[in-house]
Amino acid sequence: MNYRPTPFNLTRTLLLALPLALLLSACGDDGGADGADETTGDGDGDTGDGDTGDGDTGDGDGDGDGDTGADPNFPLCSCAQFEGDCVEVAADDEDGLQIAANSLEDGTALVLGLGVFELDNQVTIRADDITVCGQGMGTEGSFDEGTTLDFAAQATQSNGLDVVGDNFRVMDLAIVDAKKDGLRVEDSDGVTIQRVRVTWRLESDSSNGSYGLYPVKVSHVLIEDSEAYNSSDAGIYVGQCQHAIVRNNVAKGNVAGIEIENTQFADVYGNLAENNTGGLLIFDLPGNPVIGRDIQIHDNTIIDNNQPNFAPGGTVKSIPVGTGTFAMASRRVEIFNNTYADNGTTDVAILSGLVVEIDPEQWALSMDELVGDIEGLDLPTNGDTVYSYRTNNIYVHDNEHSGGGTNPYLSSMDQEFGVLLALVYGADLPVDQILYDTVEESAFSASDAGMNSNDNHLCIGTNVGATFASINIEPLSMMGGTVDDLFRPDAPYTPFDCEDLGSGGPVVAPEME
Amino acid sequence: MHNSNYLVAFSLSLSLSLALLGCGDSSAETGESAAAGSESSTDESSTDDTGATETDTGETGGEELCPTQGVDLDGDVPELLSEMCLVSWDGAELLYEDNVYAYDLNTVLFSDFAVKDRAIYIPPGETATYVDNGVIDFPVGTVILKSFMFPADLREPELDIDLIETRALIRYADEWKGYPYIWDHELGDAVLTVQGEVRPIDFIGLDGIERNANYLVPQKNQCLECHEIKDELDETVMTAIGPRPRYLNRGGAHLPEGTNQLTHFADAGWLTGLPPLAEVPAAWDHRSLADTPIDQMDYETITRAARDYLDINCAYCHNPSGVNGISSQLFLNWDNTDEFHLGFCKKPGSAGKGGENREFDIVPGDAEASILVYRTETLDLGSMMPLIGRSLLHDDGSALLRAWIDGLPPGDCTEMDMP
Repeated sequence: MNYRPTPFNLTRTLLLALPLALLLSACGDDGGADGADETTGDGDGDTGDGDTGDGDTGDGDGDGDGDTGADPNFPLCSCAQFEGDCVEVAADDEDGLQIAANSLEDGTALVLGLGVFELDNQVTIRADDITVCGQGMGTEGSFDEGTTLDFAAQATQSNGLDVVGDNFRVMDLAIVDAKKDGLRVEDSDGVTIQRVRVTWRLESDSSNGSYGLYPVKVSHVLIEDSEAYNSSDAGIYVGQCQHAIVRNNVAKGNVAGIEIENTQFADVYGNLAENNTGGLLIFDLPGNPVIGRDIQIHDNTIIDNNQPNFAPGGTVKSIPVGTGTFAMASRRVEIFNNTYADNGTTDVAILSGLVVEIDPEQWALSMDELVGDIEGLDLPTNGDTVYSYRTNNIYVHDNEHSGGGTNPYLSSMDQEFGVLLALVYGADLPVDQILYDTVEESAFSASDAGMNSNDNHLCIGTNVGATFASINIEPLSMMGGTVDDLFRPDAPYTPFDCEDLGSGGPVVAPEME
Repeated sequence: MHNSNYLVAFSLSLSLSLALLGCGDSSAETGESAAAGSESSTDESSTDDTGATETDTGETGGEELCPTQGVDLDGDVPELLSEMCLVSWDGAELLYEDNVYAYDLNTVLFSDFAVKDRAIYIPPGETATYVDNGVIDFPVGTVILKSFMFPADLREPELDIDLIETRALIRYADEWKGYPYIWDHELGDAVLTVQGEVRPIDFIGLDGIERNANYLVPQKNQCLECHEIKDELDETVMTAIGPRPRYLNRGGAHLPEGTNQLTHFADAGWLTGLPPLAEVPAAWDHRSLADTPIDQMDYETITRAARDYLDINCAYCHNPSGVNGISSQLFLNWDNTDEFHLGFCKKPGSAGKGGENREFDIVPGDAEASILVYRTETLDLGSMMPLIGRSLLHDDGSALLRAWIDGLPPGDCTEMDMP
């Protein structure tokens, strides 16, 4: 009885063929030099633990709070800024915070004081029109600056800040060492996350929580000027959402830096994804009723994503080390004006969902269970069933590349695609910075350019410093091969020299009301 | 040229798995959630027979402490549980007032071995309607009370009981709301504690071994993690979980021998629409474990028991309308017959860290390879299921689930269905 899939056998075979050396050579990762600290300025106060216990839970609705002198506990955000109900809670008053969170009426502002809240359970919010603000998110590597919600003492399994509520805003605070997800917002409409830093103390630790910033099943979400470090899954995750803007954030030291998953209408720009296993990833997973579409990825900096994959398991475990971006089971995605540097395996990979889940039936969805809009998507269908594995209508252009694909040997057996690339390229480095798996193409030839189809409408424009290859992945994965088995055209990469997203027109931008 | 048969190729290679990515999705994470209130008890039998009956009127002789029972639906919920005039604690057992009906469930939620005591207050003159395979439709003003306590030694459940909390689930005109009350034994009352509490607890188990739990009194808002579903209009609403006919269809520890709870409630005048008992479904009665340990059960019984165990312990989220479970597409409600959604050879949408190296929610015939077994057994914060309410291993539950899965006809989850 082997429930352990055949795959392993194949893999083993494949790998045996390769010089072991390849596998072992894991180059070190580097600790990501560039310091860049992009912290957005505000109030990284300084350690504030010690606040003298003045603040109490006060229900004190602040409107009144007239003293402009600024309460030293609330230098950045105070109830004076809000009309309507407002509660100020001083750091150290953990009980006060939990009482306030569990007593919020719709439309209330919850203002958290300067300092550290040491919490043994999540902060749970279930109300609409709530604003939560702190006194600054602090800087990378700090665990007590600004307003910090520290969950290291969590004795039960829970998230950090756990929210269900429409028109939720959160800003200027840090969330440290949440057992599961740092900030989880689910099933809500209208979510704004600004200057929130989620971090775990330990780097590369598989026991860290899963997700940093985690809006899921949310409509109209903005994440900006925020940061995520050291999550064992994704630092910034936007999943099953509709209408999202993700801009000017930092994701470092996570397994996946930024993920846009099963999401419709997203604009992702100005972000830094550095030193993750995979930098900025766009994909659908099988069986999810939100079929991703209309994603723009531009003006991001995606560098040095060579972090060893420290995920404890799950699908994320299979992200190859050294991945800049991939688009998988995705459609209507435009990737442009980004800066890619030093991602060891490859910068941009365009992949069919069948690469991770080969059974099309796993990607089947009945029309009536779908969420959102599939108008204009060229999805495989069968009666009332649609399939979401296909990747098509992708346009990659005007990105800048340097140093990518020069060290594809970082993946372990758990990251088989990475291993496959290492085997195929061998010493013929670098790996091409833009890769396409050609699944579902009607024609492929390594040697005859005219014998390649572009049925999925993949367009590769000018990308400084990058080369392109399409990979006939099935035979390669079964029988192995070399770079001679790849189609590696010169620019303009005919037949991939189109310059648009196909018949559906340009990417439709998110509507943020 | 390749083409056409790439699927075949893939299936081979598939394995190769190339699996690249993934990434979590999450959301659903498998399930999530759990505990907050729910039903059940560990060995309730013990507790309940202590007394809990609907007798005792008034705690004290005539003080007018209780001019009205229940909750003022137009005002704030009381700070003290005693203000509801429904229940008191005499140091050994809970005493319920008139119009309060203690009840037990056939199969119960595991909450770190807490002994639980359940009761329903029905406003006098009001009636509740029987619902087939659903939660009884309770009238506005209903208060469901569920109390959690730990005897120092579960082998002597009537002695030295530490009553921790009583959760009140209140039926308002438009919705249910849940509130945690923590007992202050110096005060002799339970105090509304919306922020909940994490309390270290130690006790001796039925096996004589000391256990230490991080017992969670859920925050008010955490009640929703388990008690929340999407209604027909796709609105998120709170619901009761336990008081369904199939779980109530049994004798009550607090009732005369042979008296069925549903019949008793109908006779009391507040439960209407009750069909003949023979037509009322009944979930597996967990008390039968005392006489028939799992290794002596026939497989049909194991199946029924395991499915009901999953239903009460998991399906409040893992059902097609569960707010916190729907995105997992793993539906463990007892009447789900779709093997894929039951988890057979189903890859998790995202198990987070919960799968370790397991690939499928349930591998028929192989419990050890099943994510479901791993997550319901592990004590790893971040992987555990249910999401809240458990910090210890429930040995009986885990044995039951293993027996069920190991007894399923083995199948090779890696075989592909070719389209």
